[in-house]
Amino acid sequence: MTEAEPPAIDVRSLSKRYGNHEHGVLALDRVTLSIPKGCVFGLLGPNGAGKTTLIKVLTGISDITSGDASVAGFDVRRESMKVRARIGWVAAEVILDDDFSAWENLWLQARLQDLTGWEERADHLLEYFSLKDRKDDKVSHFSTGMRKKLEIALALLHQPTVIFMDEPTIGLDVGTRRMLWDIVTGVRKEFGVTVLLTTHYIEEADALCDRLAIIDQGRIIAEGTPSELKARVHADLVQIETAHDLDTQRISALPGVQEVRAQGNDWMIRVASSEDFLPRLLATVPAEDVRRISVEKPSLETVFLDLTGRRIGQEEPMRDIRKFYMQMRRARS
Amino acid sequence: MRSQLWGLYVREILRTFRNPFVVLITVVQPFMWLAFFGSGFAQYAKDLASVYGTSNYIEFLLPGVLSTSMLSVGMFGSMSTIQDKRFGFMKRILITPTSKEVIFLSKAFGSATRGLIQIPVMIAAALAFGVTFSLSPLEWAVWIFALLFTALGFSSMFLAITARSTDWQTPGVVSNFITMPLMFSSAALYPSSGFPTWMKVISAWNPISYTATLGRDLVLGSGIDATAFGYLAIFAVIMVAIGYVVSAKWLRVE
Repeated sequence: MTEAEPPAIDVRSLSKRYGNHEHGVLALDRVTLSIPKGCVFGLLGPNGAGKTTLIKVLTGISDITSGDASVAGFDVRRESMKVRARIGWVAAEVILDDDFSAWENLWLQARLQDLTGWEERADHLLEYFSLKDRKDDKVSHFSTGMRKKLEIALALLHQPTVIFMDEPTIGLDVGTRRMLWDIVTGVRKEFGVTVLLTTHYIEEADALCDRLAIIDQGRIIAEGTPSELKARVHADLVQIETAHDLDTQRISALPGVQEVRAQGNDWMIRVASSEDFLPRLLATVPAEDVRRISVEKPSLETVFLDLTGRRIGQEEPMRDIRKFYMQMRRARS
Repeated sequence: MRSQLWGLYVREILRTFRNPFVVLITVVQPFMWLAFFGSGFAQYAKDLASVYGTSNYIEFLLPGVLSTSMLSVGMFGSMSTIQDKRFGFMKRILITPTSKEVIFLSKAFGSATRGLIQIPVMIAAALAFGVTFSLSPLEWAVWIFALLFTALGFSSMFLAITARSTDWQTPGVVSNFITMPLMFSSAALYPSSGFPTWMKVISAWNPISYTATLGRDLVLGSGIDATAFGYLAIFAVIMVAIGYVVSAKWLRVE
């Protein structure tokens, strides 16, 4: 990775709005990203954050509303065909021709990529993914893991510069997920591709990615290596749920407290050290008022929590329930 | 473009032929027309031999049924496209240097080919019903191409109409809506000479009429109807062009 080499993916102030004009949903809001070649880059964010939209825009499936993007050195808008000849795509749900054999799926991919002399590489890929002895079997008889592997083989067939993986491990069991992690790391090393993957699994982003961007409501809110991001939160997060309101001022005055945020009866307190803080907190709050206390050490989860005040996994249902209760209340009155 | 078109076309064909049920139904359906409608009506048709130009109604009906079959195969291309949209395969195709136009062409030719497999089966069935064929190789070729043009034209029409649809139900509904009036306002089942004027106007524009008349002339030994052949060729070209442009612009990905 030399400095002079152009980035594999370069996105500048990219916005994407679905629907008409200003009334549409703004799925991407002035996203700027530069992903160096040979890197496994993660987009981490809750469902609906804009991760899949970014992939759609970069692969040419969706139009750009404003801004610029280039992939593998080519402009996504003006040189779409050149981009598409240099990228591979692995879908969240495995998309293959089930009635076809593994080899026939590879044949079709070779046709679509207009390849000649692809057979040797296809053989090599099948061997690499331990699918060689099953190459003439119908894909519908494959296990999920095997199907996933074949899909990655299809994405690699034309020696792409960049591979997009949209939620590659969603719906997989733990064993298969681990296998896929190994594959992603291995593929980058073996085939020298840049991987852009989206995920809402914190541990996946942490384990797999060299760099990552945290995306929320269409905006990139933080970017860096996992350890850089974790280092941004120089604090432990204490969450406490109480029966009555807390005396915010008193708690803020306790030593080591950096910030107190309220979310209903849930309080989030940033402290320098939870070990020092907890005894002091419990001396302040009556024990019978405390319903729950949790402590979190810096992790990508706390980075997201710190930046947005929400958790990645729980965001959507919470909002829905609140909305539901509000509607109920309105309906009653 | 040729590489992609060939790949996708072969995919369409394989998908059809690997599903024995689909092949069976495609072949049996027009056969049932011949068997039930043909046999049921044959007795009355005999009395009307002067109207039909033959005493064997099957002889009259066969070209008509074949031409309406080419109309109904149009639906398959639409269904296959919608399936690709629903299962995300459209995205898999488009994240390669393949254009939407090529997808359209593969679907249109794919379903037209599917229509053509009905021809040998129907000819064999007609032989079994006592129809005799004395066509020259050129006449056979003209008939087959006329049927191909019809199938291609209607497949393209269907694909253009359903370019933005992602609903399984649409092709069926569109097919029902289009097939019935086009079939009954054509010369497929009966001669158009007795139509009221307004229906004659429709029939004069209806490609099914031309396909049916062209085939009938050949079966009954009246030679090649060059006008009908030209009309069908133009119909196919225009429809393919419309489908091509519409797909390039409006084909939905998912």
